[in-house]
Amino acid sequence: MGAFQWLMKKITKVFGRTTNALFYTLLYREILKEINEITKNEEDSLIILREIGKRAANESCERHSSIFKFMPGSPKKVLDYFEILWVVVFGTELEDYSYEEIYKEGSKYNDYVLKINQCPICADYGQDKEDTFAFEELKDKKTEGLACGLCGMLETVANFILKIKRNDYRIQIEEQACITKGGDCLQFTCKIYDLKEWQELMDSRIQERNILGKFFAESLEEEIVQETKLDIIDKLQDVISIDKLEEYLDEPLEGIKERVSDIIRDKLNMEPTHFFDYFRNYEDDMIRIIGYLGVHILNEYGGLLEKSLQNEWFAKILGYVFKQLKEMTLLFVPLDVIRDYNSLLVSFLEGLAPPEMVENVKLFTGKDTINYLFDGAQMALENLGIDFSELKDNVWEELKQERENGLISSEPSVIDRSREKMPQIINIIQEGLMVINEILTLPIRILISESHYGLKTAINSVVSEEEGLYGSIRERFDHIFDQIQEIRK
Amino acid sequence: MNYSRKDLIQTDATMNQMRNSIYILANFMEKNGVPNLKDKLRKMGQNIAKTYVRYWKPTNQVTISNIKDVITTIYQKVLNSTISIEINDVENLIRVQDYRCALCKYHYDYIEIAGCEIILGMVSEIISLINKESKDPSSLFLEPYEIKESRAFGNKMCIQLYKYKSGRIS
Repeated sequence: MGAFQWLMKKITKVFGRTTNALFYTLLYREILKEINEITKNEEDSLIILREIGKRAANESCERHSSIFKFMPGSPKKVLDYFEILWVVVFGTELEDYSYEEIYKEGSKYNDYVLKINQCPICADYGQDKEDTFAFEELKDKKTEGLACGLCGMLETVANFILKIKRNDYRIQIEEQACITKGGDCLQFTCKIYDLKEWQELMDSRIQERNILGKFFAESLEEEIVQETKLDIIDKLQDVISIDKLEEYLDEPLEGIKERVSDIIRDKLNMEPTHFFDYFRNYEDDMIRIIGYLGVHILNEYGGLLEKSLQNEWFAKILGYVFKQLKEMTLLFVPLDVIRDYNSLLVSFLEGLAPPEMVENVKLFTGKDTINYLFDGAQMALENLGIDFSELKDNVWEELKQERENGLISSEPSVIDRSREKMPQIINIIQEGLMVINEILTLPIRILISESHYGLKTAINSVVSEEEGLYGSIRERFDHIFDQIQEIRK
Repeated sequence: MNYSRKDLIQTDATMNQMRNSIYILANFMEKNGVPNLKDKLRKMGQNIAKTYVRYWKPTNQVTISNIKDVITTIYQKVLNSTISIEINDVENLIRVQDYRCALCKYHYDYIEIAGCEIILGMVSEIISLINKESKDPSSLFLEPYEIKESRAFGNKMCIQLYKYKSGRIS
C-alpha cells in the first residue's frame, strides 16, 4: 500500500466519528425499511436509498472539500484508490477483493469490475426477523442490491474529487451483484464517461428521475463547477499531490532538482536562477520561509492543524512539544548530522541558484540553519493559533497553575479522565520524538547514496533492509494514530 | 465466506455519511406526509435493539444499582460515546449527556428533529429486552422520554431523557 493510501486511511479513521459496525449496518437496514414503508415498492425503495446515499456523501464532501484537493485527479487514479474511497465511506478496511480492467474500444478509459468477497452491509441479512425488506419481491433482476446506498456514496465521492480537480470525466459506479440477492460476492462496475456522455447518461434515466421527482420533489444539483480563482495550491497540486510521493522517493537528488526547476518554469514562468535570485543576501529568510511554508503546507491537508489548535489545551500541548523540540534538536542531534543537512541544501541549490547565493549558504553553520527553520515554523504556528508568549517554562508548571486557578475542574471524574489520557499523550510525544530522530539520520545517506542508489536506497538503509525508514516511520505513525483514536474514544 | 453480524461487533464504521442520511431520510419522510417522525425514529432504534441483543448485550440483568454502568457500557460499546449520567429518583428520570453524539452534529434548518431519537429508542429497548425474562422485582424498564437538547437543534450537546420503572411488566 502506498504512503498516500495509508495516510488517507489513517486520517479518515482517526478523525471520523465511528460507531460499532453492527449498529451501522442495522441503521442502514432501518433506513431502507422506512423508505419502503413510504414507496411500497421494492424497486423504487432501492433507487431512493441510492439517492439518499448520494446526498449524504455530497453533504460530507462539501464540508470537507479541502481534503479532496490532494486526491489524485484522473479517473483511473481515483479508481486505483478505490480502497480509500471505501474507507472514507464505510470506515472499515476493504479486504479480500479483486479488480479487473475491461477493455473498452474507442474510449480513453476502460471499464473496471470490482469483486468484493465480504460485504458488511449484507452480513447475515435475512437471519433476523427484523430483516423485513423483501428482496424476493424484486421483479426487475437488474435492480441494484442492498449496497446501493453505499454505491451512491462511493460514486458521489469519486465524482466530487474529479469535479474539484476540474477533470472532464465522471465515474458511474453500479452494484451488479449482491450477496443478499443471491450473488456470490458484492460486485461493482465502474464506467468512465466524458462530461457530454455523462450528461446524456443522466438524461436517459427517465424512470429514475420520475421516481425521485415523485418522492423528493427536487433533485440534487449536479455539476455546478465553480470557476473560483485558482490559489497557489490549486496550481501546484498537479505536481505536489501526495499520491506522487512514491514517485519522488524513487528519484535521486538530480531528479528532484529537475522537477523543482520544471515547476518554477511552468508555474511561475521564470528560470530557477531568477527565482532564487530574489533571495540573494536574504538566504536566512529563505530558510525561515521553508520552515514557515512547511507548517502551512501541513495545515493545507484539511486544515487539520488549524482546527486542532482551536482547542486551547491542544494548542498549549503542541506549543510545549515544539519548544522542547527546538531545544532538544540542537542538544541531541550530532552536529555532523546537522552539517549534512546543510551540505544537502547546498547540493540542492548548486546549479539552481546563483553561485553567490550558494556561497552565502555555505557560510551558515548547521546550527544556524536549524534555528532559521524553527523560527519560520514558530511564526507559522503563531499564525495558526499557538500563543508562545503565554507558555510557561514547562508543561508541569502549566498544569499546576491551571489547578490553582480552578480552570481544570476538581471533579474526580474529570481528573480521572485526564489521567487516563496521560499515557496516550506521553506515548504520542515519545513516538513523535523517535520519528524525528529517525528522519534526522537521513541526509548523510542521501548524500552517500546519491551517486549510487538514489534516495530510496538511502531511506531503506536507515533502519534495516527489511523494513526501511519508511516502514519504521509508518509503524510509529500507526502507534500515534492508535493513541489518538484511544483518546478520541 | 461473508462476514457475520457477530464479526461486525468487533469492528467500527465511520458514521459521517450515515449521520447525514438520517436527516435526509427524516426530510424525505416529512415531505411524504409521514406523521409523528419522532415515534418513527424511536421505532427504528427499537428494531436495531431487537436485532442487536441477539449478538451482544452488556449484562443479564439491569437494576437501579447497575443502571448507570449498563447505560455507560451501551453508549461506549455501541456508539463509541463517553457520556455522563444523572438519575432523578423523584421523577424517575435518567438524564444522559453526550457531547459527541454519534447521530447529531450539525444544525439543519430544514428539519426540527434530532437523530438521537433513534438512540433513545434503542437504549431503552436493549434494557427492557434484557429484563424481559427476569422475575426479579428490582429489574428496571426504560422508556424513551424526551430529547431535551441536541446538537441538531444548535445546542452544544445532546441531552437524552429516559423514564424508568421497576418491577415486572405485564
